Amino acid sequence: MKKISFLLYLLMGFINTSCIEIIDDLMINDNGSGIIKYTINLSSCKVKVNSILALDSLHGKKVPKIPEIKQKITAFKMHLSAQKGISNVLIDENYTDFIFKFSCNFSSVQELQTALQLSLAKITEDKSIAESEAKWIEWDGSVLTRSIPSITSEKVKQIDKKDEELLKQGSYTSITRFERRIEKFDNEKSKLSKSLTALMLKVDTYSLKENEKLLENRIFLAKIKN
Amino acid sequence: MRIFFSFALFFLVCKGFCQQPEKLIPKEAVSVFSLNNASLFQKISIDDLINYDFMEEIHQELFDGSTSGKTLKDAGIDLEQKLTVFYGKDKQYEVSGFSFGMKDSSQLFTVFDDFQPVCTIGEAKVYGSFFNNLVISNKDALLIRVEPLITYVDRITDSIWFAQGNENPFVNYFGPDGDIFNEQEFDENEESQSNHFPNAFDDPNMKNYYEFRDSIESNLHQELLDRLLNDLFIEGISLPTVNKYFQEQIQHTSDGIFFMDNSRNINKANGLWYFQTILPTLYEDIREIYDGNIILGDLSLLEKSIEFDFKVLYGEKLGSIYKEMTASKFDKNVLRYIPNTSTGYFTYNINLRKAYEKSYEVIMPILEDEKNAQIAMNVLTIELLNELVNKDALFDTYKGSMFGSFHGIKKVKTKKIEFSYDEETFDYSERIAEAIEDMPIFTIGFTTKRSDIPEKVLKHLSRLTSQLKKENDYWCFENAILDAAPLYMVNKNGLFIFSNDVDFAKKYSEGYGAEALSAKKIKAIKKSGFMYANFDVNETINRLPSDFFTVRQEEFLDAFKGKTGAMELISNETNNQHTKLKLKYTFESTDKSGKHLLDLINILYVVSK
Repeated sequence: MKKISFLLYLLMGFINTSCIEIIDDLMINDNGSGIIKYTINLSSCKVKVNSILALDSLHGKKVPKIPEIKQKITAFKMHLSAQKGISNVLIDENYTDFIFKFSCNFSSVQELQTALQLSLAKITEDKSIAESEAKWIEWDGSVLTRSIPSITSEKVKQIDKKDEELLKQGSYTSITRFERRIEKFDNEKSKLSKSLTALMLKVDTYSLKENEKLLENRIFLAKIKN
Repeated sequence: MRIFFSFALFFLVCKGFCQQPEKLIPKEAVSVFSLNNASLFQKISIDDLINYDFMEEIHQELFDGSTSGKTLKDAGIDLEQKLTVFYGKDKQYEVSGFSFGMKDSSQLFTVFDDFQPVCTIGEAKVYGSFFNNLVISNKDALLIRVEPLITYVDRITDSIWFAQGNENPFVNYFGPDGDIFNEQEFDENEESQSNHFPNAFDDPNMKNYYEFRDSIESNLHQELLDRLLNDLFIEGISLPTVNKYFQEQIQHTSDGIFFMDNSRNINKANGLWYFQTILPTLYEDIREIYDGNIILGDLSLLEKSIEFDFKVLYGEKLGSIYKEMTASKFDKNVLRYIPNTSTGYFTYNINLRKAYEKSYEVIMPILEDEKNAQIAMNVLTIELLNELVNKDALFDTYKGSMFGSFHGIKKVKTKKIEFSYDEETFDYSERIAEAIEDMPIFTIGFTTKRSDIPEKVLKHLSRLTSQLKKENDYWCFENAILDAAPLYMVNKNGLFIFSNDVDFAKKYSEGYGAEALSAKKIKAIKKSGFMYANFDVNETINRLPSDFFTVRQEEFLDAFKGKTGAMELISNETNNQHTKLKLKYTFESTDKSGKHLLDLINILYVVSK
């Protein structure tokens, strides 16, 4: 899921998620490879984002300037591209509406997680990320298990209580796509597409703060026809 | 420093009458605040006091385990005496402290239990703790902290360190073969990182750089303290003996007095460091302009208000500039552009042309005397500009008078990108939608006699960008505010006005008419001199969105929050010797002004820390 979590790491530190829209779109092929797309949309609060970017620091933390953010993103892209099993890394940055889109291809979910962990640890200079053994995605060929990475849940938990009402306006949408039909899934809040091959789960950021397990899911696929 | 300031403020609220507290104020003090009336605080409980920010640390310092449950009276402090707080700073050291009356020394030392006897100076006994010194002379006490500035300590240390033949103790910029590391190599070189700080020498009798610097600092501290205490208790030199203005001010019987020597305060102005170090003669000459620039204030605590009356004294040169600057006729036009519903507004009325000409007359001879190539070039440039620029056009375009008003927070329309989903596949696509965001609404305008000039500028700018357009009788610059909201410009009636209020641009470009300021408010503005400001504390401060401010600004605003009433700043009179200002805080609650004064002290603490 949270590929571009490092952007969250950068942005959520000084922008509350009251106006943030996140879309996490994961495509898993039958052979375990796939494509991950991650979108962060801050366009509904660009006044606030611009006002924050105009500051030197906020809540005791330095506010990065746009060139610094660009530099970090470029470095992240470079590190991720060099990781095993990762290809076609694309990052689209829109600093007018503050929309960031990330996507990449991966050979396996394990390699995806490792690559993201290492790249994120490098960019944030946080070794604990690289050392973490927590898995937020597992795939055995017919069952996909998803959760939320601890870095994201920790950031959400740090949001001030006074912003809780506003948090309800932010959203997190998780989409998981497959090549074959979904047979069943654990999370009752999930919505199955008419094609029966995609599952969508949408929560507001307030609910996610209250219960980080909201996005957890186990998805069972139909058997592959010979 | 914070703790010390807490001490000062803590005792500030417990003032009283002292025989001659001014004798304990060192001549190095640049600003002094003294309260004469203790009665207001007598009914305020310690429990209430400790809820203030400024009590946070003092409470831990004074009322630790051994003093639990004690009151100020239990601490041996004579509440009938005056309390004076002072602060000063120059290029070498910083001094701060306060004086207070003492009733019972044994009780006092149950609170100041960390202080140990150090020495006797004249009749005064000196006690010391880790940072502070307590000096008791008869029944008067002085708590003082003297600290050499770290820049001064470093300078002395470096001078001796290098003179002794030592190498740079901090970093090794050179690689093994003598090449200079570039920044990246240096940062990533672990070995050089480990050399970043000096290590202790093998010989324990040799000091490393930091140990040496600590010794210098300690020595400077003692030397400065000795000098200061010697002046006070042996030579009898104090602020009132060297400054006639302070001596006169401290005699005032108002509830409190304020003193600030701005001529020494400008030493703190960072912008002047260049002159101080590179052009010391010029710096001294410019400093001379500020000679006699002293701010004196009287504090009055009234039934429903607190009033600060300030008198800003000038030397001859500075006074002549201010006199010319404020020789301006008030532009009544601005009054129609401030709505009566505005919760905060100001007018500022100066004659920039006259101020420029007088400044030119005063400052240019100083610059011309300077024997420096760079200054000579600057003088030439200024003189050429003075001759060649059309000053009539320049100062008719911006005459120097302006106004501003705050209209609260409004919802403004912006554009956002939304994602919509295909129910069949959950594929999503972008679409533009309207968003609503909070925006503080301001209007700022200035008087102009040449409305054609800004119009000309706007007209040509509009040819460069499609975001700037003339709509009816106002200009609109799309996304000018934080790249999201429009800025409106109205150029009429001898005023050029900026606003982010669409209602103002569309409906009130001729003024607010009957909705403009009331006659009473207009009268107050007209009665004021070159400056007037008024804001409703509750309606203005509480409506400002915290997201737009830094942490420090937020702390300041938070200190104001929850309070009601109005702040009014009036300039009464300006001549070539002084300007008189009055700051009036009127409150509506039933709290006595002592509580409000504590609130203001708390704000002062938050601002100062």
